[in-house]
Amino acid sequence: MIWQFIVNGVITGMIYGVVALGFALVYNTTRIFHIAYAAIYMVAPYLLMFLFKGVGIPLLFSVILAMSGTVVIGMAVELLVYTPLIRHKSSSSVIMVSSIGAMIIIINVVALFAGNETKVINTEIAKSLKIGQVLITYTQLIQFVSSLLLFIAFFAFLKFSRFGIQTRAYRDDATLSAVLGLNTLRLRRILYILSSLFAGIGSCLIAWDVGMDPYVGMPMLLNAMVALIIGGIGRFEAPVLGGVLIGILQALVVYFTSARWQDAVTFTLLIIFLLFRPQGILGEKIRRV
Amino acid sequence: MEYVIHLIILINIYIILTTSSNLLVGLTNLLSLGQAALYGIGAYLSVLALMVFHWPLIPTLLFSMIITSLLSLLLAWPSLRLKGDYFVLATLGFQLIVFTILYNWVSVTRGPYGIPGIPNPKLFGDIEISGLWAFFVLSLVLVVVVVFLFHNLIHSPFGRALKGIRDDELSMQALGKNVTALKIQAFVISSAFIAISGFLYATYVSYIDPTSFNLDESIFILSALIVGGLGNIRGPVIGALVVILLPEALRFIGLPDSVAANIRQIIYGLALIVLMRFRPQGIAGNYAIK
Repeated sequence: MIWQFIVNGVITGMIYGVVALGFALVYNTTRIFHIAYAAIYMVAPYLLMFLFKGVGIPLLFSVILAMSGTVVIGMAVELLVYTPLIRHKSSSSVIMVSSIGAMIIIINVVALFAGNETKVINTEIAKSLKIGQVLITYTQLIQFVSSLLLFIAFFAFLKFSRFGIQTRAYRDDATLSAVLGLNTLRLRRILYILSSLFAGIGSCLIAWDVGMDPYVGMPMLLNAMVALIIGGIGRFEAPVLGGVLIGILQALVVYFTSARWQDAVTFTLLIIFLLFRPQGILGEKIRRV
Repeated sequence: MEYVIHLIILINIYIILTTSSNLLVGLTNLLSLGQAALYGIGAYLSVLALMVFHWPLIPTLLFSMIITSLLSLLLAWPSLRLKGDYFVLATLGFQLIVFTILYNWVSVTRGPYGIPGIPNPKLFGDIEISGLWAFFVLSLVLVVVVVFLFHNLIHSPFGRALKGIRDDELSMQALGKNVTALKIQAFVISSAFIAISGFLYATYVSYIDPTSFNLDESIFILSALIVGGLGNIRGPVIGALVVILLPEALRFIGLPDSVAANIRQIIYGLALIVLMRFRPQGIAGNYAIK
């Protein structure tokens, strides 16, 4: 019985990992506390639902179009909200508050058009297969395989491609990489595109299973932030590790107590980590003034 | 007329919330997202004193203020060891933990069902605060007291020390100030003030449930403060006026209620973005967050 919970936890945790990785792509490199990410996450399944069920485009094309739409919205936030502030040399708190503003706007525009209630895209009852004592639905299988493929592709890309090397250089020292002739503005744009894409993929995978409402972004963003902190800020493997750990932990909380205490346990863990190991599991201790 | 009085009471509650948050955000540069949690703790403690202990007004208010400021140490202790984004995250964690406890500890807080029928507080003997006008006077008295104390605090050596931390923490340390102790004092005073608004809200509305004290409320309080302005007395007052009166203004334009809530939120969001770009100190503030 407990294995069932752990398997569920790992699969949910991998999606946390995908979403946290998207957040980390922006936070690790640009140090922008991208709260509007919650809204970008939420938009994707609404676009998918509109295209797939509303317009009636085949699923594969709907997914591609929905992801492009999500990327466009992510870029809009970067171009309309963050870029002017960075040109203006605003402080990080100022950018964070504007990001909250952008999140509020996107959430309420969606709520205005689609309503506040929960919507489902996939109304069929999921078929499942049984491995030993563990039951896995096909939706979970899709979630697992897509997250795994995404991780493999991303980390290969990060390790071997030119873009990956530039990203790591930019993460380590933004000013120096700019001085050495790296086109940081272009790199930032690519990072925002990837980040929105990851949000969209994670979001649609979850929404396909349980549906969505306009307010799903914030709880997910909070889980992603906790995953990022306990994994460790800096390395890109960290949010994935953190996500899977949180997924397992939450599943165990459900097993031993009840689902009501998931959030309390998650955020207690966050505060414990902030206090005793702020660099996270994989991070190295850095002294900053 | 009664409608206007009702609005003024709400504005008063929010003036206390924004003013006490200003002490943290505007004077000490501590961007806390745990304000609604303290607001909720103040409200639930007031209800405890009123409904279980059957205390009159003044002991209830003092009880709520003192215990809330003690509990705020649970927020101050871990978060003050952190800086920047990490500080914000720790306060966020506190906010979510408190909300989960209020929501799920059903045997004590009645969780999502909320607590209805909160009795009117008794002033002395049998004089009860009941009806719109009594609450109007009570809230006005409390607002005047809070704003007056805040005014004195800003101009006191303590207030100047907090501003010193805000502007240059390292120099304050070099001057031999105990920065952590000062920040903890700021937290404690701010939470005691917030408990007052919790008390007012609980007794005036006479029903509370945890959703009035969630993360969105924290963000809302912070937006009200930032829109109004940071660092002085005018700012928070104007912020509270704007966030309470704007939805009423929208209602008079004739927007249907179903749409009005969303439009209002969109306006807040736009206001935050535009202000942060062109006027980061808010409408009437004299300090821009950094």
